[in-house]
Amino acid sequence: MRSEGSAPGTGSVLRLLSHRVTAVALGPTTRYDEGTLSVSAAAACAALASDAIADFRVSWVSPGDSARIVKVLDVVEPRTKGRGGAGIFPGFLGLPAVEGTGETHVLRGVAVIAAGFLPRAQEAVIDMSGPGAALTPFGATHNLVVEFTPAEGASWESVDIAVRLGVLKVAALLAEAALGAPPDDVVTLPAIPHLRASGLPRVGAITNLQTQGTFKDIFVHGKSFGRAAPTLIDPNQLHDGAVVSGQFGHPALKNPTYVHQNHPVVAELRRRDGKDLEFAGLILAPEPVEAEQKERVSKQAAELCAAANFEGVVITKEGGGNADADISLKMDALTEFGIGSVGLFAEMAGAEGTAPSLVVPPERSTALISTGNYDEVVRLPAVARAYGGATVDVAGAPATAEMDLPTAVLYCSLSPLGAGRLTCREAA
Amino acid sequence: MSRVVHYLNQFFAGLGGENAASTPPGVKPGPVGPGRKLQELLGTDHEIVATVYCGDDLAAASPEAMAAVLELVMQARPDIVLAGPASTSGRYGVACARVAAGAARAGIAAVASMHPENPGLDDAGAAVVIASGASVREMGASLERLAAAARKRLAGEAVTEADGRIGKVPRKNVLVDRNAASRAVDLLLARLQGKDAPAEVPIPHFDHVTPAPPVPDPAKATIALVTESGLVPVGNPGRLESARATRWLRYPIEGKATAAAGEYASVHGGYSTVWANQDPNRLLPLDVARELEREGAIGVLHGEYLVTTGNGTTVPNARRFGVEWAAELRRAGITAAILTAT
Repeated sequence: MRSEGSAPGTGSVLRLLSHRVTAVALGPTTRYDEGTLSVSAAAACAALASDAIADFRVSWVSPGDSARIVKVLDVVEPRTKGRGGAGIFPGFLGLPAVEGTGETHVLRGVAVIAAGFLPRAQEAVIDMSGPGAALTPFGATHNLVVEFTPAEGASWESVDIAVRLGVLKVAALLAEAALGAPPDDVVTLPAIPHLRASGLPRVGAITNLQTQGTFKDIFVHGKSFGRAAPTLIDPNQLHDGAVVSGQFGHPALKNPTYVHQNHPVVAELRRRDGKDLEFAGLILAPEPVEAEQKERVSKQAAELCAAANFEGVVITKEGGGNADADISLKMDALTEFGIGSVGLFAEMAGAEGTAPSLVVPPERSTALISTGNYDEVVRLPAVARAYGGATVDVAGAPATAEMDLPTAVLYCSLSPLGAGRLTCREAA
Repeated sequence: MSRVVHYLNQFFAGLGGENAASTPPGVKPGPVGPGRKLQELLGTDHEIVATVYCGDDLAAASPEAMAAVLELVMQARPDIVLAGPASTSGRYGVACARVAAGAARAGIAAVASMHPENPGLDDAGAAVVIASGASVREMGASLERLAAAARKRLAGEAVTEADGRIGKVPRKNVLVDRNAASRAVDLLLARLQGKDAPAEVPIPHFDHVTPAPPVPDPAKATIALVTESGLVPVGNPGRLESARATRWLRYPIEGKATAAAGEYASVHGGYSTVWANQDPNRLLPLDVARELEREGAIGVLHGEYLVTTGNGTTVPNARRFGVEWAAELRRAGITAAILTAT
């Protein structure tokens, strides 16, 4: 399969086989049949089992349910490359290999969501109905919520590791149920060739990954990307789970594993490749803590863009104010090379929308896209049931209560990777 | 017929000048003073049903007085609240801005009128502010602009720079048709083609803070420790926020030799607090400050520390904390403060 349909100069291609899920249930076995996904709780909990965890619980919530998920950690789209994962999530389930070729089965319309307390994790809320549901990608998916009770004496670090690995295993297990089913949709994605002469503008992406220590870290091929240099990778690798999130700060400004698997900027550049642009490639860059490291990484990323002949770059971030610098410094460094760029920023404009929007703006560019104001308050109605915890501490309320929350708390609502349709406009 | 409530200071309400600046909040039925001309300009579809007033000193300095003003405004059940014109009068401008901001927060349309250089401009929150002239001599033109803006606002039309709008225009979240990723590619391609396509975020301009000169004689100084590190007594009794702080707290350190582990912990959500919690002196350098105090290198250490969380804090809140801290420390006779940041 790996040699099929090779693009010039690359020799690899990924086939994405999508299976649409329209109904979900818990049942005696895990099976996928004509759009209905049934999951055995016992099989899921067996896949999740770890010494660090005393007890796992799984539940379904669906779009339109009067339900709320609180203390959301990561979200993963069920995918597999074959029995036992066969290389999916390299470095976690598979060897730490370069994937992104062959066949990958995807369950569409479903997500596996880890929810519960971890230190440093900021409160993160998903509503399945009402105004909150429209603001997160996961108000529109059937979600298998994984809750957990840590084992006595287990360190929080080991709990974090166990939950991450467990959720990836469950995601692969669910997709495995569809291996024998005819796909609803097949997409063939050739690797991005680096040398072409289409005459169209060569546009690439820099994806900053928030790598700021345990509970705020991103993994590439199973390893923290914290000490890595900016790296040019085949965007097809994202489809196979090369990037996995362990970052639990700034919930609205978070890029969960699911959004990396469906990278919105890569999807858009793919869609327009050969039409009004030439997709030039994807660069992953860490978001270090120290200012001088942010500068170093930004200059290195710009050098890499120049070496790969990018003419324009879409730059994204993850996290709050300090991560503004990781975009702005790159925009300014790219200007030095004569390379154009656009940055995706969330605005921190205060509850009334009158405060300055950015913490660190670029000095030499104005090409900024807004993913919405972090501070604007949204009123969420009371719901019938809640998962992930009994309270929402930032609202000082039971998890099922009516509450006013800043958009900042609504999971993925200001998606830094550009998944959302929110923006900011001046009021009349 | 829409109900208009007009706010004036003691002077324009006819109660006296500086000698009456402590006049408590009050209300008179119908238009008063410049309100009569304003009523004329608003026309017969809009009625000034009440005029609320307050002395400038009280309105600008007392949160209780401002709360009482807003209470009186609400009791008159306004469709719109108009305040001023305040021209360049600082306290009056602040009062007009806060009345309009309070009404806007309660979901009521509000328009304040003041000169663009009035210091009250920053306090208007989400309310509309219309430029007035610099002095009372321009009252007629100022009232005309205020009335025109009020009519537009009541009709649900946008009030813009062309109408004399000044100050911050609030930015609101809206859902658009296409996701941010595809809008970003559009903007990039347009800019690559040399087109001046509009961006979606205004570039902010920040103040630059000039550092204070060195303390001339530290051995005689009273030094305060202040921090944005989120360090609070274990259990967070004052419920300090881990992000987007809206307030600051104070805790006593009188007689304490050190910020002991197990006694203090940080609630800051923006960095790993593990090392800091192992030794809270890393955030609040109480141990070395006491050493310096013993050695006589500094005079006296202030008996309490001030703390907030600097994580996603808005600039207006941060500015307010700064002003409040400065006032608080001056009141306590502090010579200098050490601000530890994370």
